[in-house]
This record gives sequence, C-alpha cells and structure tokens, in this order.
Amino acid sequence: MNRESPLLPVSDAREAALFFVVGALCFLAALAALTTRGTYTAAQAWSAQIEGEISILMRDTDRRAAEAAAEEIETLATVLEARLLSVEEIEALLEPSFGPGGMPEGLPLPLLIAVQADLATGDPISAIEEILDRNGIEAEVSAHSRYASDVRNALGVLRLVALGAVALLAATAVAVIAFATHAALLARRDIVDVLHLSGAEDRYIAGLFERRFWVLALKGGAAGAIAALMVTAMIVFSASNASGVDAQLLPQLSLDFWDLFILILTPIIAGLAARLAARLTVMQSLKVNT
Amino acid sequence: MSRFRPDLSDEPAVRLDGISLEYDRAGEVLSEIDLVLRQGSFTFLTGPSGAGKSSLLKLMYLAHSPTRGFIRLFGRQVHELNRKQLAALRRRIGVVFQEFRLLSHLTAFENVALPLRVSGRKQSEYTSEVIDLLRWVGLGERVDALIPSLSGGEQQRVAIARALINKPDFLIADEPTGNVDPEMGRKILRLFSELNKRVGTTILIATHDLDLIHEFDSPVLRLSNGMLVRDVEYGARR
Repeated sequence: MNRESPLLPVSDAREAALFFVVGALCFLAALAALTTRGTYTAAQAWSAQIEGEISILMRDTDRRAAEAAAEEIETLATVLEARLLSVEEIEALLEPSFGPGGMPEGLPLPLLIAVQADLATGDPISAIEEILDRNGIEAEVSAHSRYASDVRNALGVLRLVALGAVALLAATAVAVIAFATHAALLARRDIVDVLHLSGAEDRYIAGLFERRFWVLALKGGAAGAIAALMVTAMIVFSASNASGVDAQLLPQLSLDFWDLFILILTPIIAGLAARLAARLTVMQSLKVNT
Repeated sequence: MSRFRPDLSDEPAVRLDGISLEYDRAGEVLSEIDLVLRQGSFTFLTGPSGAGKSSLLKLMYLAHSPTRGFIRLFGRQVHELNRKQLAALRRRIGVVFQEFRLLSHLTAFENVALPLRVSGRKQSEYTSEVIDLLRWVGLGERVDALIPSLSGGEQQRVAIARALINKPDFLIADEPTGNVDPEMGRKILRLFSELNKRVGTTILIATHDLDLIHEFDSPVLRLSNGMLVRDVEYGARR
C-alpha cells in the first residue's frame, strides 16, 4: 500500500488567497514592529545621550574668561566634562542654517561651553550659575534633559500606537483565518460529514483543519517576515548611507538579535493564531450543525 | 392508517420513543414515531418520496437530533451521551448511501479504511483486513483505483465495504440500490442478507423497490407523511 493520502484534498484557490492575506498581514505587522523598535531604540539612545548634556551660551564674554569658567565648572563633583567649543565647532553647528561655506564674513559668533553632567549624582545647574555669576559672565544655561522628557513622552505614545497597530493586525489575521476556516469547512462539508459518520471525533476533524491552516499561516507568515526583513534592511542601508543635513535628522537604525527574534516569532504567532482560529471555528461549527 | 406501535418488551438494538423532527420550524418531517428494531433483525423501510425515510435514518445514524422524543441505541439513551461517546457509538453503525458519499480524492482502499483510520489505527494494522473485505465485495483488483475511475456498482460496493469494515452492530442503508442496475441491486441485498445471517448484524434498508423487497423474508416498515403506519408489508416468504 502507498503512503496515506491527506483526508483534506490539496489546497485550492481559496487557500492561495489566504496565503497572500496572511503574508501581507505578517509583513505589515513585522514591519510595524521592526520600524517602531528601531525608531524607539534610536530615540532612546539619543535621549540617553542628551540626558546629561548642558549648554552654556555666552554672547558678550571674553574667550579667556569663558575658558576659566569652563575649567572651574569641570571641578564640580556632578560634572564629568566641561569644554569650551572651538570656533570651527561653532561654525559646524551653524552650518545646517547657512549651508556649507555659507557663513557670512564677520558674523559675531557666540561662545558655547558643552557640559556633560552625571545627573545620577546631582543637578549641577545652580552650581554652574553661581560660578558664572562669580566670574561676571552673562550666560544662558540650558539643560537638555528638559527636551529629553518631551522625547520620552513622545516615545511612550509612539510605543503604544505601534503596539496597538501590531495588535490590530494580529486580530485582523485571526479574524481572516477564522473566516477562511469557516468557508473551507462549508466547502468541505461533504468530507466532514463522511468523517463524522465514520466515527471521527470533533477533535480529529478539527485537527485536520488545524494542521492545514498552521502550515499555510506558517508559510505565509515566513514570506511576510522575509519581505519585512528586506524592506527594513533597505531602510537601514539608506539611513546608514545618508549624508549631509538630512543624515542628522535620521535615527541610527540597525538590525540586531531582537529584530531577528521578531522576524522568527511573526510566522510562529501567525501559525498559532491560525491553528487556534481553525480549531475554535471547526469545533463551534460541528457543535452547531450536528 | 393508524400509527404503528411495536412491542417494546426486551432490549432492542434501536428503540425510538415518541420521536418528532422539524427542520427550521418548517413543519414536522417526522411525527411521534415509536419504533423498535431487535438485535439481529433485517428490516425494510419504505414509503413514498418525502415520507421522511431519510430523515428517520439520519436520526438513527446520529446525524441529527430529534426535536422531541428519545432515541435508545444498544441500550444507551443518545441524548445523555457526550460528543466523544456519540463518536464511539457512530463507530458501531455502518451507513450506506444512495449517492455513495465516497471521498473522490482517495482510493478504494483509503475509502474503505476511513473508519479505521479516524479511530487512530495504523495502516499496517488494517491493510490485509481492508483488502480481504474489498475482495469479498468483488473489488480485489481495484484496491488502488481512485473513486472517479470506478463504475456506479463498484462505487456502491466500496461504500458497502466502508460501512462494514468496523464490523458494525447496526447497518443502515439509504436506497442502496437506487444508483445501480437491478441485478447489482439484488447482489447488494443478498450481501446484506448474508451478513445478517452469518454475523447477526442488525440491518435496516430504506428502499422504494418493492419488487426487490418481495424477494426477501423480512418485515417492512412503511412511512407516510412522517408517520409510521400499521399497514406493514412483509416479504415473499412471510
């Protein structure tokens, strides 16, 4: 005797359409998860970096007095580094506003002290202001942590939106699979009836549909995840090759172990969701109809 | 015509008490049926089209539940059984349909083996059993044939073999001769009769074919407008 044939006939056009739908949903879900994670990680790194940064902007100050103030600020216990930026560094900071080589001749440049503080040991702002007062320097002290809290809030919202989008896509996938299982069950009603009359338990019949949709969703999910990987790799590649003004606005994107984990997990979740949807649909349908 | 009320004294293979069936509130298809089939009996069920023969058989092979009344099979009240127990009970019943209901993507062997396969048995355990049964119904040479390549008579014999493979206690046949020529119809009924005499299987056959019924010495139940009626006809030798 030959190997046993599958009790459900080989896949038809409906299943090809379902493969495409599951693949597309997994592509969107994986892409949403990957880009959100990438953006979130990059933004978190950026906010962590600026967390301890303080800028001191001085206009009518002598460069030597500014240097002396920077040295004194650096002696504070809560300060890791205080450095007066060079003229070239100031010009580089202003370049996005004027364009390369577009700095007007004779433009009075401000002096800027960049302070890197260790906020875990305390807030140095008042001590810095005291040093500047004592040295007779009029300056604008700006702690970047104020912007960081805004960024953190925005990131929280972004994460919630992304989770909502992924959950919605997953729910859509489950609903589509449940619908497709129901349609497949109706189309195969004759087979289900024969199996039932042959003494097959509900669990056995549900198992046939579960296995069919598990494999289908696993394949569709894998195709969607691979497509998402390719698109994400293209985004990462474009971002890493960007230069000029735009490059400063792009987050530092990359693919790491957790991204690959998401990509591997996507088809498995799709498969499990398909399996569960198929099981519930078949069991419910069998109970209602017989 | 009055309602037929058989003797309900000892434990029968099938016992229906006050069975009524209604599909989607479209009026009763079966009404107040009381019926007993003794173990090892060979009975015909007849009646005009639309009398409710197929509906009555569906209740007996547990494809439907009655709207009212109780079904007792092999001493067990069907409405008290859970779905797993119902599946186990279905394995004690073999069903042969007029339209065969074979799975066309499977071979004759696989169709016959279906009840064994769904009960979890391995192919190696039942191969010879299935082939022997296919030989018994005269299909020893068509074991690996796909269903569409078989004639109507051959398909019906595959369906019979499938109904018998589990050695059922109760065999139900719904118009088993309806799609085969008269000679094949006679052969099929002789096959059932042989099974009934040799193994003691309880057999119920629904048929229109009164000529065929008269060739057998068996009681005939008659359905009319969803009711079992008293004017029971009997086979030739009764």
